[in-house]
Amino acid sequence: MENSTQESHLRSENSVSYESPYPIYGMSFSPSHPHRLALGSFIEEYTNRVDILSFHPDTLSLTPNPSLSFDHPYPPTKLMFHPRKPPSSSSDLLATSGDYLRLWEVRDNSVEAVSLFNNSKTSEFCAPLTSFDWNDIDPNRIATSSIDTTCTIWDIERTLVETQLIAHDKEVYDIAWGEARVFASVSADGSVRIFDLRDKEHSTIIYESPHPDTPLLRLAWNKQDLRYMATILMDSNKVVILDIRSPTTPVAELERHRGSVNAIAWAPHSSTHICSAGDDTQALIWDLPTLASPTGIDPVCMYSAGCEINQLQWSAVQPEWIAIAFANKMQLLKV
Amino acid sequence: MATPPPNNSLQTMLRAAVQSVQWTYSLFWQLCPHKGILTWGDGYYNGAIKTRKTVQAMEVSTEEASLQRSEQLRELYESLSGGETNAKTRRPCASLSPEDLTETEWFYLLCVSFSFHPGLGLPGTAYARRQHLWLSGANEVDSKTFSRAILAKTVVCIPVLEGVVELGTTDKMEEDLNFIQHIKSFFIDQQHPALTAKPALSEQYSTSKPTSSSSSYPLVTANNTIPIQNIVDRGEAIILNNNTKEAELAVPNSSFIPSELMELDATLEEFRVGSSGDGSNHLDSFPTEKSMALCSAGLELLQLQLPPAPAHPPTENLAQGGTDTHYSQTVSSILQKNSRRWPESPSLNLLTDSFQSAFNKWNSGADDYQHHFHVSVASVTSQWLLKYILFSVPYLHTNWLKGKGTSPYETSHVMAERHRREKLNERFLILRSMVPSVTRMDKASILGDTIEYIKQLRDKIESLEARKRLTGKRRMRQVEVSIIESEALLEVECVHREGLLLDLMTKLRELGVEVMMVQSWVKDDGVFVAEMRAMVRENGNGIKASVIEVKNALNQIIPRHEPYTLASSDHF
Repeated sequence: MENSTQESHLRSENSVSYESPYPIYGMSFSPSHPHRLALGSFIEEYTNRVDILSFHPDTLSLTPNPSLSFDHPYPPTKLMFHPRKPPSSSSDLLATSGDYLRLWEVRDNSVEAVSLFNNSKTSEFCAPLTSFDWNDIDPNRIATSSIDTTCTIWDIERTLVETQLIAHDKEVYDIAWGEARVFASVSADGSVRIFDLRDKEHSTIIYESPHPDTPLLRLAWNKQDLRYMATILMDSNKVVILDIRSPTTPVAELERHRGSVNAIAWAPHSSTHICSAGDDTQALIWDLPTLASPTGIDPVCMYSAGCEINQLQWSAVQPEWIAIAFANKMQLLKV
Repeated sequence: MATPPPNNSLQTMLRAAVQSVQWTYSLFWQLCPHKGILTWGDGYYNGAIKTRKTVQAMEVSTEEASLQRSEQLRELYESLSGGETNAKTRRPCASLSPEDLTETEWFYLLCVSFSFHPGLGLPGTAYARRQHLWLSGANEVDSKTFSRAILAKTVVCIPVLEGVVELGTTDKMEEDLNFIQHIKSFFIDQQHPALTAKPALSEQYSTSKPTSSSSSYPLVTANNTIPIQNIVDRGEAIILNNNTKEAELAVPNSSFIPSELMELDATLEEFRVGSSGDGSNHLDSFPTEKSMALCSAGLELLQLQLPPAPAHPPTENLAQGGTDTHYSQTVSSILQKNSRRWPESPSLNLLTDSFQSAFNKWNSGADDYQHHFHVSVASVTSQWLLKYILFSVPYLHTNWLKGKGTSPYETSHVMAERHRREKLNERFLILRSMVPSVTRMDKASILGDTIEYIKQLRDKIESLEARKRLTGKRRMRQVEVSIIESEALLEVECVHREGLLLDLMTKLRELGVEVMMVQSWVKDDGVFVAEMRAMVRENGNGIKASVIEVKNALNQIIPRHEPYTLASSDHF
């Protein structure tokens, strides 16, 4: 009992908690402002909020910034800060997806709506977006995925559609850049496809889920080793690791979660580490071996939250911190 | 014969002796009547203790500690040398373990395992000769002389009663006859009257160690209770025994030259002591007789020294070698038993958790549990929020738009994609219906079957074209004749048959056409070709054959298989 109490006390120094007034889904670390996070609310109505928090590693505390909080229509399906420092040094650019792709300028004491991207030429309404990814090599590009089976490449400066591709047979649920002109997407049709903007008529299927109609929900591309990416399936406890050089056959399947997986993130500073979180309230960190063992791969370590973990982000600026979201709480965990 | 004193009394004497001179240990090698060998009788350890510091307090506590140590060392030896049964027996927690010993304690402990035949080894030799042996620098001499040599630098063996008393120390000390007499007094004084012994002992003690003398003198007095007459009898009996044994000793002739010299010196020394005694008390006859006997024995040994010298070294070497082997085996045996115990010692490695991370280490126990986990079946709450974000949130917009009364969002891309897929599916169906042999219904199979069918059609086309070429060639049938004055030129091309050329030439001869040169061959497709040059002669009537006559005649010879031939016949 005494040891347990002491250990519990020690653990509390390795994590920071923030309780939000509403459920949380979208999350993003800011690369240009190391201690800044964005949180998107999840309210099943039109009115939703995006909050900007400040993280203080010295005092291990998170404080909201009321002047930087703003309204957002519908729950944002994804939040993402500009991957680099914009020309204007004091402000930060934040993109949100939902009914439209929207761009916001986060200043010192206020947030301004900068752009609204519409990919429909005949209507004032855009097809709803499920996710997006900001190209870190060419930050003028954002790729969005939509339920209308298309992926759209946007020109941020000119607020125009650069390219639109019919990517899949069904809804596209997630998208990720690999290189300046190469991206991949996952879909309800159960496939992972890779596209090259230099050859828009052609795409490569590198994985199809074993059961034909099982959708793939999330996709993460390993930025430290572009040969590998990870995806998760609907109603499955598996994290599927893919090697783009050997299509259709996963190099590993991580199956230690005792519930469905909700989120995955590669380590920003290591090519062999990946974190996953799921309905079993656990966040697991895996170290992928060079050779797959016959008995399966065990995670290196684990963390138990109080309830289902819905979102997961691994900070690229401070790789020792991982952010998770469950219910109306957000926690920063020290790795 | 005097009976040996009881064990506790023996240990008391050993303790008193070793403590009086402050040496490291004292042992009593006792003669076993049945086996006739000297074995470990008892001992007292008076040396350094490793795991327990001796507090320099009361003398009693010091003696008590040493006494306990001696007993503990004996117990340790028994447990180490015991078999499997003893090994399993649990020893008290206060018992010693091998790592608790100093080097001198190890030496003392190993002595317990030794035994000596009379005449062999230091104790055996001392017993056989009934003379003390003083070995100085014992740790440096050849192991054949003193095979137990490790740390004891000085060892003294003194024959008493029915055994040998051995004392050892880690200091190198030269031989001291007063020391010998002093030690002997603890074991031999019982045989002398108190009044007689007092002056002699007092004289010796005052000369060498006043403190030791005063401490040990009362003990001797307390033990002396024997009547004078009995002493005289015992003394005589002892003298007779000594003479007998020394006479026996002369027969084996086993001795070392250095030992002989030492013994001779001892004899002379005792002789002087005897002379002094003779002048001071009424027992002159006793010491005089003893001295004369010792001198006689010494002279006998000297006389016998030279002849048996060549035979001694081999025997001694073998005996000493055996003793050395015994020592090595004992040490090996003990070390082996210890080596078995050491691996069993508990591991002190503590698993240290890393408190730097919020994550706990993965638990292998949980791992076993998760091996039995199956892929979760779809449930209402599985991936609820993620599904809502992907499946439901995008359609919130639709509901809102409908609520506003405006037209739904543009679905042109969805419709375009659907139209494209419908076209593809329709065309696949058409393709499947056009291909005769369809194996399966999937698109890949339809494509494969179509490819095979097209290949078959190509093969059929090629074979038909080949057949057409063959048919065309078979229609050829041609005869050409030209006559200029008397020279004729003929060309024939028709289907070949055997003997055709001969028949043609025979027919021409009948018409008066003599063939001068023929060139003919048969083509690959069976077509006969002939070119002939001939001279036209006048027949009996003086008329030459005409072109038409020759042509018609040849046409009758060549094969007729075509309608053309029939037409030609009709024309003819």
